[in-house]
Amino acid sequence: MRTKQEYLIRYKDGNLYCELADIWIDPSKPVKKALITHAHFDHFTFGCDEYISTEETAILLKERFGDNIKIKTFEYGEEFKINGINISFHPSGHILGSSQIRFIFAEEKWLISGDFKLQKDETCKQYEIVKTDYLISECTFGLPIFKWDDSNKIANDISKWITNSPEKTSLLFCYSLGKAQRLLNEISQTNFKGDIYSHGSINKMNNIYKKLGIDIKDTIKIENKKKIDELKGSLILLPPSLSKGSYLKNFKNIQTAFASGWMSIRALRKRSGYDKGFPISDHADWDGILELVKKSEAKNVFFHHGDSEALSKFLIEKESINVLFFGK
Amino acid sequence: MSLKNFSELFIDLDSSNSTNNKIEVLKNYFLSNDPIDNSWAIYLLTGKNNKRFISGRYLKNLFSQIYEYPEWLIDTCYLKVGDSAEVITLLLKNKSTSRKKKLSNISLNELLSKTIPDLSKLNEEEKNLQIKNIWETLPEDNHLIFNKILTGTFRVGVSIGLITKSISKLINIDEEIISHRLMGNFEPSIDSYEFLINKNINLQELNSKPFPFLLANTFEDKILKHSINDFQFEWKYDGIRIQLIKRSGNVSLWTRGQELVNESFPELVEKMLDIKDDFVLDGELLVWNFKEQIAFDFSLLQKRINRKSPTRSIQIKYPIIFIGYDLIEINGRDIREIKLENRRIELEKYFSKWQIKTKNNISDIFKICDLIFPKDWADVLIYKEKSRENNTEGLLIKKKTSIYSSGRKKGIWWKYKVDPMQLDAVLIYAKGGSGRRAGLYTDYSFALWKDKELIKFASAYSGLTNIEIKELDKWIRKNTIEKFGPVRSLKPEMVFEISFEKIQISKRHKSGIAVRFPRITKWRKDKNINDADSLENAYELMKKMS
Repeated sequence: MRTKQEYLIRYKDGNLYCELADIWIDPSKPVKKALITHAHFDHFTFGCDEYISTEETAILLKERFGDNIKIKTFEYGEEFKINGINISFHPSGHILGSSQIRFIFAEEKWLISGDFKLQKDETCKQYEIVKTDYLISECTFGLPIFKWDDSNKIANDISKWITNSPEKTSLLFCYSLGKAQRLLNEISQTNFKGDIYSHGSINKMNNIYKKLGIDIKDTIKIENKKKIDELKGSLILLPPSLSKGSYLKNFKNIQTAFASGWMSIRALRKRSGYDKGFPISDHADWDGILELVKKSEAKNVFFHHGDSEALSKFLIEKESINVLFFGK
Repeated sequence: MSLKNFSELFIDLDSSNSTNNKIEVLKNYFLSNDPIDNSWAIYLLTGKNNKRFISGRYLKNLFSQIYEYPEWLIDTCYLKVGDSAEVITLLLKNKSTSRKKKLSNISLNELLSKTIPDLSKLNEEEKNLQIKNIWETLPEDNHLIFNKILTGTFRVGVSIGLITKSISKLINIDEEIISHRLMGNFEPSIDSYEFLINKNINLQELNSKPFPFLLANTFEDKILKHSINDFQFEWKYDGIRIQLIKRSGNVSLWTRGQELVNESFPELVEKMLDIKDDFVLDGELLVWNFKEQIAFDFSLLQKRINRKSPTRSIQIKYPIIFIGYDLIEINGRDIREIKLENRRIELEKYFSKWQIKTKNNISDIFKICDLIFPKDWADVLIYKEKSRENNTEGLLIKKKTSIYSSGRKKGIWWKYKVDPMQLDAVLIYAKGGSGRRAGLYTDYSFALWKDKELIKFASAYSGLTNIEIKELDKWIRKNTIEKFGPVRSLKPEMVFEISFEKIQISKRHKSGIAVRFPRITKWRKDKNINDADSLENAYELMKKMS
């Protein structure tokens, strides 16, 4: 068995790092070269000399963080070489442009899942099965209590939630990139035919999605928040950051909900302070993670981004998978 | 009329923070379901005696056995969820492949009066098989309700008060009447529901109706400008506020939450029936230390409040007293418009009469409150500080000329509470919470300095905001020294201001002291651990107080 230092990819200062290529994956501090799996805030940091991502991710990053970042882009499946290592992006099904990253060196394959999901999502490319020897997977929802319902069932629940309270304005909180667009796409296929408004930050992302050819429903940008109380029977999409603080204080005629995988647990739902929770996630659930492990045919698996203790123990005991630990 | 409707009701009630909304949801449920299902719904929602058919542990073991699931994995899930019935519900998802759900249309009545009670008639093997069978033939949306009823953990944010309000709205009859009807054991049946929604009110119901309570405001400095002679001073007891009504041979004990608590205090009801007059008294119910003639801690009263029909030995172990401080109706005459000082005269007059005219000595369960006569406002402060000694919370200051109006009326009654005692202590242990606080470290232990050592002196779990709890949880996870089961020992770094009501010597604790009602009142991020208090400070505080 090899020592931690000899792995092609390992943890260094809390980030995934490939020493042979001197390249970092979603680093949390400025480095020379960074591979970016997708355009969420927590996977990006300013100040790297060079970023490498898919075209869609690059467009989203520039829209969110400004034009003056240097990004090299590659298509899904297109291989490029750094220091003799073949690297390629593959769809991870998380949000538009999101990817898994595969490394091949001396016939040894490594796959970083990135944030991923297997569920249907018409606003991004479907997750692609990639075979590998070593798998580094996220496990945000790595417990068997997490099992997602079909997204159209959740969308129908949301539709019912709105139409059952025609006297109220329905405020649905969701991440502005990815989740909001997926919800819009799903909700437009339900019975809810009322107006949908969205916060500026969400509206901005909607426009990029549309520019990139993704079919999502038109929304009206909220220009004057004072009017929210009057928008009876409509749906308003807002980023979760606005649920705290003073934004909601002045509204009387509203009901609130949060769309997140964590909402499948009652204690978390109650604690969240929202009236209602809709469990829908852009991450894989328990079965999704198990399926990834199986289909990737990986002999060795690492987990990060989440509590992996139970998941690792389960794979080792029940599935005889070799789960490895990076250490910190 | 199926269990499905009740599951939906549960979800609707659970996902609403608005009282009005919940009332509306309940009203609609009652309108659209059978009387018998309605009576079961009321039975479950009021949680009067939710029976446990099997334990949470049994449920988990059974699931593990049927589906060959490792128990440690279920336990790990439990830490995140905090409720066995819910864990199993979540794990049951997609377990059954059969599309035809035989139990799709089972009614709440059938489930509760037959299916579940029948389980107790089976031997263990049959019982397990039957539960598996129910799991697999009951639509998934109903699993949570089923599991919760099975484990006796069905609870949702609905009080008797809310049920009362929704029935009251449904048939357009005063809440107090409905409260009265809901008093006692509610046996689910068509009759009991029909009785509840009967639009005809009988005389006895009318006779038990309480008046709205008059509430005190927090002390304001502007009172000091007035002459001390304008006010009546009383001790502020830390018990439950009660309106004691006796009319036409019936006694009713009403709490401020519009709950009738006759059944918890039968000895008081019985004694009051000895009195010939009819009356309405406002006062405080306490567990009383007859030897020292002071109230016992509120914690002892709690042993009585939630216990219906207490046994004789419970009545002796926790002897109660009603301390009346106002008389607002006498022999059918509403005297709320009379000035307080004159009501007091009436109260004293009638009380002396009752003491003589009753067969049994009523004063071993009923007294009227003593008045305090401070010389001046400085004297008031001294009395206030003394209140710890007789286990009261401070003083009540009432304008002598005030009438008994209702609600938190300004400018007539004030409460003047003693300040809590406080020490700054260091957080040293944390333990995971359960229920709503599952998955978070919310039970904390705090320490004080003794020489160079930190000695645990109190545990507290209330006082932080949800945002602070989350922040502290994050810190705890990063600063754990050791884990012992659910408990983590922590790097001594965080200082908190701990408030409490009482401090006394205790041989049971390593620190040698015990405090009452410890709670976190401030996260002292401005302080470093060397600024925290020492045990010596605590002993000094104790000396000062005794």
